[in-house]
Amino acid sequence: MIQFSDASVTYAGGVHAMQHLDLTIEQGEFVVIVGLSGAGKSTLVRAVNGLVPLTGGSLQVDVRPGRSLGGRSEGEPTSYDVVGLTGRRLRDLRAEVGMIFQGFNLVKRTTVLNNVLMGRLHRVPTWRTLLGMYPADDVELAMRALERVEIVDKAYVRASNLSGGQQQRVGIARALAQEPSIILADEPVASLDPPTSHAVMRYLQQINREFGITTIVNLHFLDLATRYADRIVGLRNGELVFDGPGSAADEHVFRDIYGRSLTADDVMGEEERGGDAEAVVTPPTSPA
Amino acid sequence: MSATAPSRRVARPDEPPPSRFGVAMGVLFVVMTALSVVSTGFSLDGIIEDLGRRNDSISGLLNIDLSVITSTRTLTAFVETLQMAVVGTIIGGAAALPLALASTEVGARTTTVRWLVRAFNNVVRAIPDILWALLFVAMVGIGVLPGLLALVFFSIAVTTKLTSDVLDGIDLGPVEAADATGAAHVAKLRTAVVPQILPAYSSFLLYNFELNLRASAVLGLVGAGGIGTRIEFYRSAGRWPEVWGIIVLFFAITFVVERLSIMFRRRLV
Repeated sequence: MIQFSDASVTYAGGVHAMQHLDLTIEQGEFVVIVGLSGAGKSTLVRAVNGLVPLTGGSLQVDVRPGRSLGGRSEGEPTSYDVVGLTGRRLRDLRAEVGMIFQGFNLVKRTTVLNNVLMGRLHRVPTWRTLLGMYPADDVELAMRALERVEIVDKAYVRASNLSGGQQQRVGIARALAQEPSIILADEPVASLDPPTSHAVMRYLQQINREFGITTIVNLHFLDLATRYADRIVGLRNGELVFDGPGSAADEHVFRDIYGRSLTADDVMGEEERGGDAEAVVTPPTSPA
Repeated sequence: MSATAPSRRVARPDEPPPSRFGVAMGVLFVVMTALSVVSTGFSLDGIIEDLGRRNDSISGLLNIDLSVITSTRTLTAFVETLQMAVVGTIIGGAAALPLALASTEVGARTTTVRWLVRAFNNVVRAIPDILWALLFVAMVGIGVLPGLLALVFFSIAVTTKLTSDVLDGIDLGPVEAADATGAAHVAKLRTAVVPQILPAYSSFLLYNFELNLRASAVLGLVGAGGIGTRIEFYRSAGRWPEVWGIIVLFFAITFVVERLSIMFRRRLV
């Protein structure tokens, strides 16, 4: 469970990116946050893992290690009071929260596998990381994460040699390799074409359903939001202006959230339309 | 387009006057040069006149003694020089990576650490290689050891500076990603930062090796071992043909090393 209570974030420049937010997200929910650029979407997801500290109110994150790739047994639930969390405890929380980024944030010069192994850093002893000698179990787990997003055949390819959609799948695998109980995705499809975007959203949805991982996704495109979200949260100027099931979010609601009429730019479009259909849509052929 | 002149001038903004800073720098350059020439008594006549006189070092150039190349002492000194350059580069370069990391915002955990490391790096860089050699000769006596130590510090100075400049331009996305996974600081640097700078860093190490090889010729002059010791031995005895012989060999070796190094560095970046 993630619980914001009267939470606020004011940046050094005086921008109120989050204002008196009360929001509770239950374990296993698939929540899509919508709003214009600057509405506070990024701030909200980055607050959950402490990348952006709250300047007011409180935030409690309960993690419950559940079913996951490695079949990690259900551990004791742990409760984190995120405000003021530092050092080891903060890193413990972050290890339970996978994150997916708009720009993928992969190390482009190194292999796909090394990027996914980054998701294991919290578990692997530092001396092993320094020498690049990851335990076989962790490598296996990374491979399983890659398999889950159907890109395991690229494990030893340099990340820079992948297409955007493939890189984002590596990003998902990296998050999955953490065996997280929460996944945060900050505009995961903003740099992708429509078919690839739908594929990425489907992976996120499947992972959410299969492993019961709480998933929070920031999106700009309202058709993607209504299609994949169990629940939509609308933000405007750092304030919560809508909270309801995906089915309840119609055009009027979006007009309220965006504070203006909708335009073609607010719709992603169907996957049949749009640019080059890359391997993301069809499962890659496994090497013989 | 035809070559005929346009009949009409395009309306354009006034050309801005030259910047005051540019003019000031130009004037300063001319004045400094003039002052330097006057105060040092520099004259081309003097150089030409001196070159025409009988001069042992120049006449040695006419009968270079290449037989020194095969003498055991010279070869031993050369091997010493190579060893100094290799070990100096490895130790200094290894120390340079953490020092470069700790001098940047990404790599240093606190501002205090960053400023301390920067101060240390600045001090190391401010001291030239020959001065390091003099200091270490005074500390540990003449021989290979002071030369080696001098090259270690010289390597730290060079590689740290070059590497930290590259660190300023890395992609911070992977660093944020590593932070988000709950990675420890050192593990984060190893996985999100080092792979980004590794090609450049390796290239700097090779370049540093070239510099060390050249520097080692000078270090011998102050008793810090290597081929410079032999050069100094023949020079002080006025045996210029032998001095030039060693310089020819030295030139050949540095040329080969430099070519190889450039070849490797091209493949790296």
